[in-house]
Amino acid sequence: MDSRIGNLYPSSKFTFIILIILLSMLVPGFIFQYMIFLFIFLISLFSGTAIKFLSTFMKSIPILILFIFIFQVFLIVNEDSQQIWAFIHFSQIGLMTSLTMTSKIVAISSSIIWFFQVTRVKDIIYALEQSGVSQKVTFVIASTIQLIPQMLNLSRTIADAQKSRGIETEGTLFVRMKAFIPMIGPLVLSSIQQIEERVLALESRAFSSKAKKTSIYELRKQKIDYIIVIFCILVLIVYIVWRIKL
Amino acid sequence: MSIISLININYTYPLEEKQTIHSLSLDLEKGCVYGLTGANESGKTTICNIIRGFIPELYKGELTGEVMIKGKNINDYNIGDLATIIGYSFQNPFTQLSGVKDTVYEEIAYGMENIGVPRSKMIQKVDEIVKMFQLEDLIDKNPFELSGGQKQRVAIASVVALDPEIIILDEPTSQLDPKSTEDIFEIIQLLKKQGKTILLVEHKVDLLAAYCDEILLISRGELVMQGPVKEILSNPKVVEYGGQLPQVALYFIKKAKANGSSVSQVPLTVQEVYDHLNKDGEV
Repeated sequence: MDSRIGNLYPSSKFTFIILIILLSMLVPGFIFQYMIFLFIFLISLFSGTAIKFLSTFMKSIPILILFIFIFQVFLIVNEDSQQIWAFIHFSQIGLMTSLTMTSKIVAISSSIIWFFQVTRVKDIIYALEQSGVSQKVTFVIASTIQLIPQMLNLSRTIADAQKSRGIETEGTLFVRMKAFIPMIGPLVLSSIQQIEERVLALESRAFSSKAKKTSIYELRKQKIDYIIVIFCILVLIVYIVWRIKL
Repeated sequence: MSIISLININYTYPLEEKQTIHSLSLDLEKGCVYGLTGANESGKTTICNIIRGFIPELYKGELTGEVMIKGKNINDYNIGDLATIIGYSFQNPFTQLSGVKDTVYEEIAYGMENIGVPRSKMIQKVDEIVKMFQLEDLIDKNPFELSGGQKQRVAIASVVALDPEIIILDEPTSQLDPKSTEDIFEIIQLLKKQGKTILLVEHKVDLLAAYCDEILLISRGELVMQGPVKEILSNPKVVEYGGQLPQVALYFIKKAKANGSSVSQVPLTVQEVYDHLNKDGEV
């Protein structure tokens, strides 16, 4: 995140992501979209997040792609479907559809993964606040992101406490599910109690003060940020004009 | 004029039949440190919540009587803006972090951001607070990754950063080791020197004896004793009301009673014991 790309203003990176998403949707076929994936990987190399990017991408997207591929190519019956065995068919149209569909998913998801890996949450929050988004909205976003790990810690503590009282929490899926149910009560109740205390804590820090908020954290737009935004808008306009003329 | 006045306060929590606070009146003077003590469930935290305005603003229930802050009725203040007059640090360090800041430095500045303090002034104040609370090693850490004691220090620091005239500390040392406890009391003394009025809820009466000007003893929602430390913490009645006397005082109270002398002059702190024994030529 401390790379040159990571230090760009969030809205510049976001404009770039919007451009990628729009182009992925507008450009026909699938080659351009798969090229975008390679391009994003290249940028993540420059951002210093290549390994993290590949790891996150490989953990989530291939399963989805495989699922779509199997469905489109072998299960959905098209005009050109040829039976292989029982309900399994092969379709050339299905293959093309799956490639087009998955290429868009790959392009869009990779760009979103990259964005969140090179943009600090506090940068996003700062940019949102500067663009006039209500402090209450940004608070909800920031606290949700910060509190998820706390909830996980709390659930781990409850699980440990239950384990120490003899409840089996490890083993088969059924055992894990059985252990999960008694955990929900304490987890939900203590979370509700914590919310109440947190409201008081926020009030003691003048959360509902009517004053205009300031920020100790500062993020400034550089010349390059303006260049990126203008470049993205120009690329989109040129592409749309070119498509209309065709 | 008292900085805080509670006039005939009665309060019952929602869905409860029994009153938590009854007929409570008290006046707190500017620049003094008040030790609020009493048994568990006696109503100490409820009194703090009433003074801060959380009751009835956030906790509903039935509240009668008047709360005056700096001569003005508390209802005339905006609850958010009251944070700049009354700082409040809670007992549980795990829930008093804002939950939206990822460094201790920014956490301390959070309150100032909310009241619109200019950035340059904020930086200056945070640096001052970091030094005061000796948080230099923690400023870049995520507040959620700190230990209970460290979180407590950060929480108190964040409240003090707002520079309130009144500071309520509800069992601030409950999660702290003896050294950190001493540090917090040193800070309390420093805040007192700055002219702050401090209401300190605490069970550690030995420390209350050493640092407070007055003791308020609460029992079952009533203010049963109020007065200078020497007068209250040498009075055996404190124990009858569910309070505690300083460990060092117990021996001397017993001795004074055996001699038939007054208990009001018994030493309450280690230093006073030393001075007392020194005077008698026993050390």
